[in-house]
Amino acid sequence: MLEQIARVLLWLSLGEIAAKSGLWPLPAPVTGLILLYAELAIRGRLPDDLGILADRLLQFLGMLFVPAGVGVIAYLDVFKTEATPILAAVIGGTAITLFVTMVVVNRLGRTIAISREPGSERVEGAARDVNA
Amino acid sequence: MNDNPFSLWVYLSQSPLLWLTVTLVTYAATDAVSLKTRRHPLANPVLHSLWIIGLFLLLTNTSYTTYFAGAQFVHFLLGPATVALAVPLYENRTRVAAAVLPMLVALAVGSLTAIVSVVLLARAFGLPREIILSLAPKSVTAGVAMGVSESLHADPSLTAVSVILTGIMGAIIVTPLMNFAGITDFRGRGFAAGIAAHGIGTARAFQVDEVAGVFAGIAMSLNALVTSLLVPLAVTYLLR
Repeated sequence: MLEQIARVLLWLSLGEIAAKSGLWPLPAPVTGLILLYAELAIRGRLPDDLGILADRLLQFLGMLFVPAGVGVIAYLDVFKTEATPILAAVIGGTAITLFVTMVVVNRLGRTIAISREPGSERVEGAARDVNA
Repeated sequence: MNDNPFSLWVYLSQSPLLWLTVTLVTYAATDAVSLKTRRHPLANPVLHSLWIIGLFLLLTNTSYTTYFAGAQFVHFLLGPATVALAVPLYENRTRVAAAVLPMLVALAVGSLTAIVSVVLLARAFGLPREIILSLAPKSVTAGVAMGVSESLHADPSLTAVSVILTGIMGAIIVTPLMNFAGITDFRGRGFAAGIAAHGIGTARAFQVDEVAGVFAGIAMSLNALVTSLLVPLAVTYLLR
C-alpha cells in the first residue's frame, strides 16, 4: 500500500514541477492523473492496492472540499449587499449548464455510443430504481 | 491534565488534532445521514458539514486560520484524489473510449454554456463588471478558477465563494433535474455534473454510481483546462 501512496504522490509532484516550470499549461493534479493513467495503460494492469487506495480516496471526495468550503462561509459577508443577484446568477447558470450538457451528451450518446455498447441496457435498467 | 477546563480548550484549539477531528467527525455524521436517507440530494454531506463547522467556529470564536491549520491535512488530499481518478478511468476505459466523440462535443458546449449563462444572467441582474468577472469561471475547481479570476483582475475570494456555491447547488439539483428530464444514462448524468459542478458534483456522482463518477471526473478535468482558456476570450466578447 505504501508503494501505491508513494506512486500517486510522485506523479502529483511531477505535475507540480511541470506546472511551476511555466512551460506546461495543466494544473498539477490533472497532469498527475494523465501520468498515472499512462503508467497503467503501459503496464496493462492495475495493482490491487492502488485500486483499493483510489476507491477509499474517491469515496470521501466530498469531505476534501470541506476545509476550503468552510473558508467560504467565513467570507460570506464579502458580498452581503449583492447576495441575491449573485446567488440567482450562480444557481441559474449551474442549472442551465447541467441541463444543456446533459441533453447534448444524451442526444449524441444515443446515436453514437449506446448502439456500440452491449452493457448500456444494464446501466439504464439500474438507473430506473435509483432515486439518486 | 488541568483543573481549568478553559485552558484545556485553549490547548486543544491550537493543535491540528482538534480541527482535523472536527472535520472528520462532522463529515462522518453528515455522510451517515446522507446514507440513511438513501443519498437524498438535500442531505448532501458537504453542504451540511460546511454550516455545522462554520457555526461551531463562530460559537467558539475560532479564526479560519486556526481551523485550517488542522483541516489542511484533509484539504491536501484533493490533489492525490484527483490523480487517483486515473484508476476508475483506467478500469472503465472501454466504456470511456466508446463515448469519446459525444464527450468532446458536450465538453465544448457545456464549458461555453457554463461561462455564458452566468455572465449573461449576472449582467441581466445588473451586477457590476468586477463581480461578473469573478463569477465567470465558477464551474471549475477552486484552484483553477481562482487563478483565472486573478488573471482577469477580478476578486479571487468571491470566485472561491461562487465555485463552492456552484458545486453544492449542482450536486443538489443534478439528480432531480436528470430524473425530471428522463435522462437515465449514468454517463451523461455524470458528465454533466462534472462540467457544471466540478469536484463536488463529481463527489455526488461517485455516491450515486461509479460510472457516473468516472465520467464526472473526466468532465471536471477537461473542463478545468477548457475553461481557463475560454473565460478570458468569452468575457472580452460578452462584456465589451
